[in-house]
Amino acid sequence: MQKWECTVCGHVYDPKVGDPENGIEPGTPFEDLPEDWVCPDCGMPKNVYIPME
Amino acid sequence: MRKYTIIGGGLAGVTAAMEIKRLDPNGEVTIYAKEPYPYYQRPRLWEYIAGEIDQEQLYFKPVSWYGEKGIDLHLNSPVLEIHPQNQRIVLHDHTSRTYDRLLLATGADSLIPPFAQERLPGLFALRTLEDAQNIISYADRCTDILIIGGGLLGLETGRALLKRGLKVKIAEFMPYLLPRQLDEQGAQVLQQYLSSMGMAIITSASTTKIERLNDRLAVTFKDGRQEKNDMVLLSTGIRSQIELAAVSGLQVNRGIVVNPYLQTSQEHIYAAGDSAEFEGIVYGIIPAAVDQGRIAANNMVEDHKLKYTGTVPFTRLKIAGMEFNSLGASNLSETNDSTLTILRKSDLDQNKYSRIVIKDGKIIGAILLGDISNLQSLKQLIESRKDITPYTHQLLDPEFDLKALAKGKI
Repeated sequence: MQKWECTVCGHVYDPKVGDPENGIEPGTPFEDLPEDWVCPDCGMPKNVYIPME
Repeated sequence: MRKYTIIGGGLAGVTAAMEIKRLDPNGEVTIYAKEPYPYYQRPRLWEYIAGEIDQEQLYFKPVSWYGEKGIDLHLNSPVLEIHPQNQRIVLHDHTSRTYDRLLLATGADSLIPPFAQERLPGLFALRTLEDAQNIISYADRCTDILIIGGGLLGLETGRALLKRGLKVKIAEFMPYLLPRQLDEQGAQVLQQYLSSMGMAIITSASTTKIERLNDRLAVTFKDGRQEKNDMVLLSTGIRSQIELAAVSGLQVNRGIVVNPYLQTSQEHIYAAGDSAEFEGIVYGIIPAAVDQGRIAANNMVEDHKLKYTGTVPFTRLKIAGMEFNSLGASNLSETNDSTLTILRKSDLDQNKYSRIVIKDGKIIGAILLGDISNLQSLKQLIESRKDITPYTHQLLDPEFDLKALAKGKI
């Protein structure tokens, strides 16, 4: 599954892992994250992420 | 093959470059950046100052990545002139280049207030990597610093300098910290948290003068108070870089004025990020730089393809490491509207503060500081407009099951 990277702090969202601390189940694709989900490291919104190669 | 030229190698410029390459892979994309480094993650400058990461870790991507992406990146390359009539720019070596579409993503500088115009040893502002390097090398000979400006950036910088071993004091102009984000009781909790970290805060401190006095910097406030420190850091806001646009005849105000397509007053020239002003607003926030960079790129590839409608400031922050969330009409006050009920609960020992705003029996807003465990429940209660009248005075009771209320189980 496609990983995404925060352009502000470098955090990587890995759908396999999800973001359980913030209620995101493992297996959730980036596209399905709620609109108000934010980077768990720097607090920036979804739109600052880009797909990783 | 269309020639796209971007002035500025920061987040707006790099975002636009990537987006153009995605939309028009054959387009020729060139970035001229003034600084000697590729785009670096500005919020991480604090970690760099704290000594937690090194310079290479600040870079989003190494220089080689730009070439691999087909983006022609020129560092150390300020642009001196723009000639919109013949779609040409003049570089620092006085050679010129033509463009089909030009993006001004020139960013912002630190705003230097009138009382700090004289360049004194020990007086700094933080914006660039070079500023951070200068601060670090000076700080390592100092014992104390006064930061003028208790906004988010001032507090983060204070925290980084504490970690570097300095004594840090913050001078805030307003009567309490972060009046846009917090109310007075919430600010007290924040202030207590910062003090426990070792940061001293003085409020209602309006600076009138900075001078050198016996190898120290003396800062005088309007009410006569004076603070003497080895260093002073100005954290008093940003100022868009508009000079190049202004001398090139583009319409400028506080920023470079753009229309909803992010076009400047010249149709083939666009602006995005901290240098752009849309409907009277220079956003100066990261998500706006990303939105604008993307939208400008789309319109540079295809005329009038996307409209920008503004960026909603995000409401979740970390304030010097403390979780902060505001929901809905969080900052309304009962002094202005007697129909409101405001619930507050502060815990100075645990560094927690909650504020709930209720109108006509419904929760319409909330602030959560230090502890955001109730965030999802409060969000649901605001959205569902559920009548919570029977539970009003229990909502902030730790024994009360807010989650069950939000889910309709009680």
